[in-house]
Amino acid sequence: MAEKLLHVEDLNIEFHDHLTPETVVFDFDLDMEEGEIVGLVGESGSGKSMSALAIAGLLSRHDMKKRGSIVFEGKEILNCPRNELRELQGDEICMVFQEPLTSLDPVKKIGWQVEESLKIHTQLTPEERKARALEALKEVELEDPQRVYDSYPHELSGGMRQRVMIAAAMVGNPKLLIADEPTTALDVTVQSQIVELLKKINREKKTAILFISHDLSLVRQLCQRVLVMKHGYVVEAGSSEQIFNNPKEEYTKKLIAAIPKCKETGDDIEVGEKLVDIKDVCVSFTKRKGRATEKVNVLKHITMHINSQEIVGLVGESGCGKSTLAKSIIGLIKTDQGSIINQESRTQMIFQDPYGSLNPSKTVQFIMEEPLKNLTKMTKEERAALSREMICKVGLSEEYLTRYPSELSGGQRQRVCIAASLMLKPKLIIADEPVSALDVTIQAEVLKLMNELHQELGLSFLFISHDLRVVHQMCDRILVMKNGEIVEEGDREQIYNNPQHEYTKELLKSAGLL
Amino acid sequence: MKYVLKKILSCIITLFIVSLLVFVAFALIPGDPALSRLGTNATEATLAAMRHQMGLDRPLAVRYLSWLADALRGDFGTSYSYSMTVSSMILDKLPITLTLMLFSMILMVVIGVPLGVYASYKEGTVIDRIIQIINQINMAIPPFFSGILITLIFGVTLKMFTPGGFVSINRDPLGFFAYMFFPSLSVALPKCAMILNLLYSSLNGEKKKDYVRTAYSRGNTSNAVFFGHMLKNASIPTVTFLGMALADMIAGSIIVEQVFGIPGLGRILLTSIQNRDYPVVIAIIMLIAMIVIVTNLLVDVLYKVIDPRVGNQ
Amino acid sequence: MKKRKYSFNFILGTVLLALTLIPAIVGLFWTPYDPEAMDVSLKMAGISIKHIYGCDNFGRDIFSRVMSGSAITVVIAVGTVALGSIIGTILGAFTGYFGGIIDEALMRINDVALAFPSLLLALVMVSLLGSGKYQVMLALGIAFIPSYARIVRSEYIRIKNLDYVKSAKLAGASDLRIMFVHILPNAKTVLLSSVMIGFNNAILAEAGLSFLGIGVQPPDASLGRMLSEAQSHLFSHPSYALLTGCTIVAIILGFSLLSKEIK
Repeated sequence: MAEKLLHVEDLNIEFHDHLTPETVVFDFDLDMEEGEIVGLVGESGSGKSMSALAIAGLLSRHDMKKRGSIVFEGKEILNCPRNELRELQGDEICMVFQEPLTSLDPVKKIGWQVEESLKIHTQLTPEERKARALEALKEVELEDPQRVYDSYPHELSGGMRQRVMIAAAMVGNPKLLIADEPTTALDVTVQSQIVELLKKINREKKTAILFISHDLSLVRQLCQRVLVMKHGYVVEAGSSEQIFNNPKEEYTKKLIAAIPKCKETGDDIEVGEKLVDIKDVCVSFTKRKGRATEKVNVLKHITMHINSQEIVGLVGESGCGKSTLAKSIIGLIKTDQGSIINQESRTQMIFQDPYGSLNPSKTVQFIMEEPLKNLTKMTKEERAALSREMICKVGLSEEYLTRYPSELSGGQRQRVCIAASLMLKPKLIIADEPVSALDVTIQAEVLKLMNELHQELGLSFLFISHDLRVVHQMCDRILVMKNGEIVEEGDREQIYNNPQHEYTKELLKSAGLL
Repeated sequence: MKYVLKKILSCIITLFIVSLLVFVAFALIPGDPALSRLGTNATEATLAAMRHQMGLDRPLAVRYLSWLADALRGDFGTSYSYSMTVSSMILDKLPITLTLMLFSMILMVVIGVPLGVYASYKEGTVIDRIIQIINQINMAIPPFFSGILITLIFGVTLKMFTPGGFVSINRDPLGFFAYMFFPSLSVALPKCAMILNLLYSSLNGEKKKDYVRTAYSRGNTSNAVFFGHMLKNASIPTVTFLGMALADMIAGSIIVEQVFGIPGLGRILLTSIQNRDYPVVIAIIMLIAMIVIVTNLLVDVLYKVIDPRVGNQ
Repeated sequence: MKKRKYSFNFILGTVLLALTLIPAIVGLFWTPYDPEAMDVSLKMAGISIKHIYGCDNFGRDIFSRVMSGSAITVVIAVGTVALGSIIGTILGAFTGYFGGIIDEALMRINDVALAFPSLLLALVMVSLLGSGKYQVMLALGIAFIPSYARIVRSEYIRIKNLDYVKSAKLAGASDLRIMFVHILPNAKTVLLSSVMIGFNNAILAEAGLSFLGIGVQPPDASLGRMLSEAQSHLFSHPSYALLTGCTIVAIILGFSLLSKEIK
C-alpha cells in the first residue's frame, strides 16, 4: 500500500457521559493523499465535526471513547499520548473553525496568535517569526498586514477574522488543513472568497484540505472527493463528480434534491392589487459613540410594493437593512420620511431563529391563541378549534398543541411559527430568513409548506433571505438590497438570467449561479 | 486616556448625586437636632437660637450648598455629641480602618486567588472536591462569626493574641500590626471564598470556549493553554469583583472592629447612629462612598488594561 | 436503569434547612421554655437533657432563645426579600422594558446604591428609620431594591429584543401583557436564584445589624443579638456563641446549597 497522508480506518466515537454509552461515529473510513481536497458533508448531528476533531487530536475528553485507527504519515495518532500528538498539532495538522470571533483569544493581539504555533514548533527568533506571520497574513490577501498584526480580534470583520484563522493555520506550512464549517458564519460573498482562498492555498502550497460543511454547493465548488455522513455513518463516498451527478444512496439523492432549484413554472397565481406600497422611505438610527452621536442611515429612499398573492424576494447580505425594512412594514420601527401603506393590518412575521421566536415558557396552544385573545372576541372553544385546524394545516398533529417549544425540533418549531402566523388569517406574511437556521432537508420541507400555503390560501409573502437559491425557488419577483438601497428589482427570470447591477452579479457568482 | 477622563468625570457626578441624596435624606428625618442637642428642658428661645447657630433655619438648598462648599474644603462641621470637628474625629480613626481593609484585601487575594486557580487546574480531582467543600462552608460564615471563631481558636485556645488587647500604632507599631492580622483574616475569609468561587467558575467556563480549542490545535501543552490563554481571560470578571469586594470589606470591617474591640471608623459610625449625631454619620457615609467610587474607578482602568474590548465600542 | 433524582447538595441543603427552619417556624408559636424567663439558679448552666443548649448569663434557656431568635431572623429575611423583590421587579420591569430618560436616571441612582454593600445601606436606613424589627425589615427591604431592579432590568432588556416578544407584539398583546405574561415567566429562573441569594444576604445583614446593637431591640431576640451577647462570655462559655453562630451558618449554607441546585 502506497504511503497515504492520512489513513483512517474503523473510527468509532462513543460518549460515556450518560448512563448508556452513545455512539456518535460508526466505522468511519477515510484516505487522503497529499494535496487533495476532500469534502465531508452532512446535516447537524451527523458526526462530521466529531470525526474531524478526532483526526485533529482534539477529542480528548475523558467521557469519550475512540476506537479504530488514524494513521498520519505512517504514524498512529489515535489515542497516542498528548505529548506526541502535540508535535503534529499546529505544525503538520492545523484547524480552522466555524466561528472566527470566539475561536480567537479575545485578549491577545492577532500577531501573537498567528505566531503562536511558530513559537511552539520552531526555534525562530522573534524577528523571523514576525516576518513569517506578516507573510502569512499577506498570503491570505489581507490588506495592510502590519495593521492587522497589531489589532485585536474584535477590531476586525468576520471575513478578516477567518482569514486570520487561516493565516495562523498556514503559518507553519502544514500538510493537512482541517476546516470545520469555515464559511457558515460568514456572508455569501465572503464565503466564496474564503473558498477561493482555500483553493489557492491548495494550489500553491499543495496542502491537503479536509473541508467540512453542510453546504453542498460550496463542497461542489471546492472538493475533489466527497464523503456523505448521516447519523454517524458514512453513507456514500466518491469523487465529487460521481456524488453530484450520479448519487447512489437514497440519502445523498435527497440531500442533492434539497438544494433549492428553479421554481417550476405553470402554477402561477394571478397577481392581485397592491397590498403594500412603500414610497421613498428612509430610516436612520442614532448610534452613540461615547458622548458623540452618529447618524446611521439604514434605509435610503426605499420604494417598493407587494401585490396580493405574490411572493416577493428580498435579497442582501447581513446589515444591508432587509430586516429593518421588514420591521418598518409592520410598524415596529418609525420611519424618518416617506410613506408606507400596508393594507393588511394583521401582517404577521416569521423569524429566522426558531429557538428565539417561540416563548419557551408557553405551550404551543398558548402561543397560537395569543393573537386571537388580544384581537378577537372568539370563545375558548372557537380558539381551540382554530388552533387544531391550523396545526394540522402545517403538517403537525393535534398532540403538539400541549407541548412546549423545548420539546420540538427546529423544523417543527418553524412549522409552529407558521401556524401561529396563520391564526388571524392575514393576507401577508413577512418571512425573515425563515429557513437559514435549518438543515437542508428540513429547509426543503418548510419551503414546500410555505409554497403550498401560498397556493391554497392565496397568501402573499415577503421572503427575506441571503440565499439566492432559496429565493429563486420561492419568489416571483426579486429585490436586491445593498447598504440600505434597492439596487436592482425584477422578475425572477430577469434577475437570474440577465442581472444588470454589479452587486447582483457578484451575489449570483458567489452562489454559483452565474 | 479619553476613557479614563470620562470615567473620572462620571465618578465626580456620582459623588455629587450621593451627597445630595444623603444630605436630603438626613435633613428630612423627623426630629429636631437642636432639641436633641439641648435636651427637652430647653426653652423655645434657646432652641431658636440654637437652630440659628446650627443653620437649620435656612432653606434646604442653601444648607446643602453651604455644607457642600465646606465639605469640598474638608470641613464637615461639628459633631452634635462631642464638641469636636467631624474631620478631626474621622482623621484620627481612619488609618486604623484603612489598615484593616488593606490587610484584608491582601489576605483575600493571597489566599483566594491561588486556591481558585489551583482548584480549577485540578478540576474533578479529590483536591478540587475538598477545596470546594471547605469553600462552601466558608462562604456561609458571616464575618462576625468568623471573628468569634478566630478569637476562640487563635486567641482563647492557642493564645496567639490577646482578645481585646488593641494597642495604638503610636505606642507600639509592631504590636498594632500584629494585632490587626487576625481581624483582617476574619474580614478576608468570607471574601476569599467568594473570589475563589468566582475565579474557579470563570476558569471552568473558559475551558469550554472555542479559542481554547484553537490553542490546543496549535500544539500548546495543557499548561500553556491554562496559564497562557485562559488565566488572563478569566481574570476579567475577577477584577470587577475586587471593586465590589472592597465595598463589602468596609461593611465587614465595621462589624469585625466590634468583635475585636478596635476603635476604628466603625465604632464612631455606630455610636453616631445611636446618638443621632448626623454630621458625623453623613461625613462617614461620604467618605465610604468616595473610597468605593474611587476603587471602582481604579477597577475600570485596570479592566481596560486587561481587556482590549472595553471602551472601544 | 436507575435515575438519580437528588444530588448530594440538594439532600444536604434540605437537611440543614429542615434542622434550622422547622424549629424556627415552631418557635413562632411555641418554645420549650419562655425565651425571656430568667432563672438565676440556672445562670450559665451547661448543656443538659433539660436544657439541650444550656442557659445564658441570665439563666434563660438558650435553645428556646435560638428557636424564637431564628424565627425573628427568618421572618425579617422573608419580609425583606418580599419587599425588595416585588418593588425591585416592578421597577426593573418598567425601566428595562420602556427604557428612556426615567430608566437612565433611575439606573444612575441604582448604580450608586449598588456600589454600597447592602449592610451599609441598611445602616443608613436604620439611622434614618430607627431600630426595631419592623424598621430593620423596611430598611433592609429598601436597601435590597436596587439589586433586584438591576437583575430584572437586564433580563427584560435581554428578553424584550427576542423574536418571540416581537411576535407577541404582532399578535396584538399590550405592553403590560407582554411585560408580565410573556417576559416575566422567562425571567423567573434568574429571579428565583437571586431571591435565594437575597434571602441569605438578608439573614446576614439582619444578623450583622443586630450584632452591632442597632437592629432588633430587646426583648426581641435575634440570632445576631444573641451572638453579640454570647461574645462577652466567650472565655467561660464558648458553646453559647458556637451554637448560635452555627445556626446562622446552617441556614445560609442550606440555602446556598439549594440555590446551587436550582441554577
